[in-house]
Amino acid sequence: MKTLIEYIAKSLVDNPEAVVIHEERHGNAVNLVLKVAKDDMGRVIGKNGRVANAMRILLRVAASRAGQRVTLDVEEPR
Amino acid sequence: MKENRTSLEIIAPTVEEAIQRGLQDLGVPSSSVQIDILDEGSRGLFGIGARQARIRLTIKEALPPVPPPAPLSEQVVEEKLAVENISTHTQPDNQLLFKAEEVVRRLLEEMHIKASVSASTKNSAEQGIPTIYIDIRGKDLTVLIGPQAETLNALQYITSLIIGKQSNQAVPIMIDVEGYRSRRENQLRHLARRMAEQAIKSGRRQILEPMPANERRIIHLELKEYPGVTTESIGVEPRRKVTIIPK
Repeated sequence: MKTLIEYIAKSLVDNPEAVVIHEERHGNAVNLVLKVAKDDMGRVIGKNGRVANAMRILLRVAASRAGQRVTLDVEEPR
Repeated sequence: MKENRTSLEIIAPTVEEAIQRGLQDLGVPSSSVQIDILDEGSRGLFGIGARQARIRLTIKEALPPVPPPAPLSEQVVEEKLAVENISTHTQPDNQLLFKAEEVVRRLLEEMHIKASVSASTKNSAEQGIPTIYIDIRGKDLTVLIGPQAETLNALQYITSLIIGKQSNQAVPIMIDVEGYRSRRENQLRHLARRMAEQAIKSGRRQILEPMPANERRIIHLELKEYPGVTTESIGVEPRRKVTIIPK
């Protein structure tokens, strides 16, 4: 699941080396936190969050195959 | 309403007439439907107590007309593509096709879905870059379609963004799973005509189920020239729906 988001994010941004994903697990629930360079935020979120939502939908398929539930947050870099 | 998309009830003076009308409506041969006679009707006496015949046509769940290609092993496919790619190096189109296949294959792999992927260009009347059509075939791919094709659309959107980014141009991409989109388009066209007929007969506007924009478009286009009705979309996404209004 992490690698799915990693692949998509790195393919969409201008600074793939700045893509970082943290994975937090609580039993069956997985929370992925995606961080990208500031200038790339728009590319992984999209208008009205369209890109982020599409990633969540694909993520859901991957997660359900593993019997897990997964959420995805996009975080602003410091 | 959902089962109406694959079955149709018709009322006509006689059974024969009903069947004929139904087949015409659905646009399929009689061999591909199951016919249930719900009421044979009767002429009554001097027209008193006459009942019309009532039948139901159900489209048989046919297997996809084109059998999926024999599953090639991943390696063979890769090799074949690699060869094609080299031999047609000068054609940018094939480069794009190859890229598109690669992206979709990678996404599916990351989603733990086994399927075969093949890309082709679809001839479109419009000028500019032709649409890249990506066909996904395999077993148990309903998860890849999702409710109201949500998952399929997400996959298509992400793929077109990645290809767009890689090739520095907007490339129109259409992804289909086991012929879902073309099947759905046919269903929607039939639904549109049926509901238009109903709107005219009843004189009342017909409201369809909520649909995504591309599906509403199919309905609007189908009824654009249909005499006696106009169409309009009402409501707010994602629950926007088409209404068919008798003139």
